[in-house]
Amino acid sequence: MSSRRLSNSELNEAAKHYDGPYRPYDIVKEVCVAVGVVALIAVVLTILFSSPDLSPSTIASWSRTMPVDFVTTAVSELDGTSETATYGPPYNHESAYVQHIWFINLQKWLGVSHPINAPYAFVIQPLRMIPDNLALQREVGAYKHAQVKTQNAWTTAYSNALAKAGARANGQVSVPAGNYGPVAPMMSALLALAQSGGLDGDLLTSSQFYQTDYTKPLLFMADGGLLAARAQQQGLLGTQWGMMNETGSYPGQVWLWLYTLGYQVSPLSTSSNVDALVMAIMGVLSLGFITIPFLPGIRSIPRRIPVYKLIWRDYYAADGGGEPPPSSPESSQPA
Amino acid sequence: MSSWTARAREFGLRNLPPEKLLPDSQPAYMTSAIYLFGALTIGALVTIIASGTILALKGPTWWHVASIGHSFNSIHLWSVELFFFFMVIHLWGKFWMAAWRGGRARVWMTGAVTFLVAVPCAFTGYISQQNFDSQWIATQGKDGMNSLGVGAFFNVLNFGQMYSYHILLLPIAVVALVSLHILLVRRHGIVPPLPFSDSVAATAESKP
Amino acid sequence: MLRSPMASLINLNGRASYIHWHFFLMSVSNFIVIVLMLIVFAVALFLRAPGAKRPKDNK
Repeated sequence: MSSRRLSNSELNEAAKHYDGPYRPYDIVKEVCVAVGVVALIAVVLTILFSSPDLSPSTIASWSRTMPVDFVTTAVSELDGTSETATYGPPYNHESAYVQHIWFINLQKWLGVSHPINAPYAFVIQPLRMIPDNLALQREVGAYKHAQVKTQNAWTTAYSNALAKAGARANGQVSVPAGNYGPVAPMMSALLALAQSGGLDGDLLTSSQFYQTDYTKPLLFMADGGLLAARAQQQGLLGTQWGMMNETGSYPGQVWLWLYTLGYQVSPLSTSSNVDALVMAIMGVLSLGFITIPFLPGIRSIPRRIPVYKLIWRDYYAADGGGEPPPSSPESSQPA
Repeated sequence: MSSWTARAREFGLRNLPPEKLLPDSQPAYMTSAIYLFGALTIGALVTIIASGTILALKGPTWWHVASIGHSFNSIHLWSVELFFFFMVIHLWGKFWMAAWRGGRARVWMTGAVTFLVAVPCAFTGYISQQNFDSQWIATQGKDGMNSLGVGAFFNVLNFGQMYSYHILLLPIAVVALVSLHILLVRRHGIVPPLPFSDSVAATAESKP
Repeated sequence: MLRSPMASLINLNGRASYIHWHFFLMSVSNFIVIVLMLIVFAVALFLRAPGAKRPKDNK
């Protein structure tokens, strides 16, 4: 006698009702016990391991520990070559960091919703707020009113000089002599403001008194090297599969394994659209995950790899005896 | 019957009569320990919400300045790890049982969406820590969000917005999804076992 | 950085160790979590729930 595989609709029909034996069960007690057990495990883990809390970086600490890096970043903001200055939406209309998938360019389409003018936001505006320094305000004015070609000449010369710069004992940056125009005194003043802690506050200030938006200080710091240096020490860089990791030796977000894997494999890892591509792939896979019951092949895997025989072994040994559960259609009974 | 209230009541009673909503018996085939992991996941969610409520009552700075606050942060963090731990094992068990059978596709789907909503809920939590970890995660995460235009209305660098999502909007979504998931389980019952054999003898009557 | 009032017994704030194999790079703590999940899943398949007895043979 030949056999045939049960169809998906037969399995679904059979699973709609169960008329077999029941046993007593206390659902409320089970949930209460589960809450108690998990809370106890969480408290034990707290006692054993506590939790990490690395103190945040500030612009003050950045400018004190890495003054050359700070000034280099500030110059790149001033001349519009930093990551933020060239990013694109949602910060500005540039395009260096705009990603797209084929013709779908959601980043561009959704526009500039959080406008940031990098030279003004990170350099000119904070310097303008320094009181009682007419000489500095004249330098800032001279920079602003110079031609773009002249501004670029000054900032390029200063950036090149910073490559050979060193930090003095007083925290100031010393560069070789050169024609930097007002850029050198502007950067000196900005560094002093940052090291005093004033720039942290200035970048948070807006027309509102109460602030919760840290976009500007975070973007400024991210344009420099301090956050990345600390991240590398903690194993949080993308190349270190950092998305899954926590600081120290704590377990991290293990559930992001597939997401972070996308950043490691070619050709995604070398693409300038890697973020968009990984997000899109994860979106498609998530849709697949949700719709497993409807995906032929995938939904049959549990039948083909019979882990279920382990789960329900008591039922098969006692009640099932190889038979489907009661109330299954007559057609599935062997002849 | 035109009363919305009456219709809602009848709908509730029809789909979830009290003995289905709070049964005191379960099918005899439910002997495996794998059946415990749904309840353990709920246990973890309750612990997350309880510890998170204490943290919210005292404000986002508290755990940095008070040892007892740090303890509650630790409980919150470990219960999140336990939540994902138990939820994924629960998911594995349900997959290998093909638990979507018999009209239970929505049970699977609400469970899957719960997982997918829990991930950004955890993400906004990591961003709300107000320490170095949150600075790094936010400045890196912005590129993923911005790449698909999500950054235009979901600014991971805006602490106020992320904190609001984390303590209110996303927990509401997770709890709503988990509640729907559980009510669907109660409505349809626990999926019966698969037939032991994947095939049956082919007779004239048994042809599908 | 503060610790809990009963200071943690095991300090996990030090530098993490990693498992590195070709392009695969995972912290030991994350690897332990994943392995633990697989072990717990496998054990759960073999164990019975508390209070569950082998159903009586009703044939």
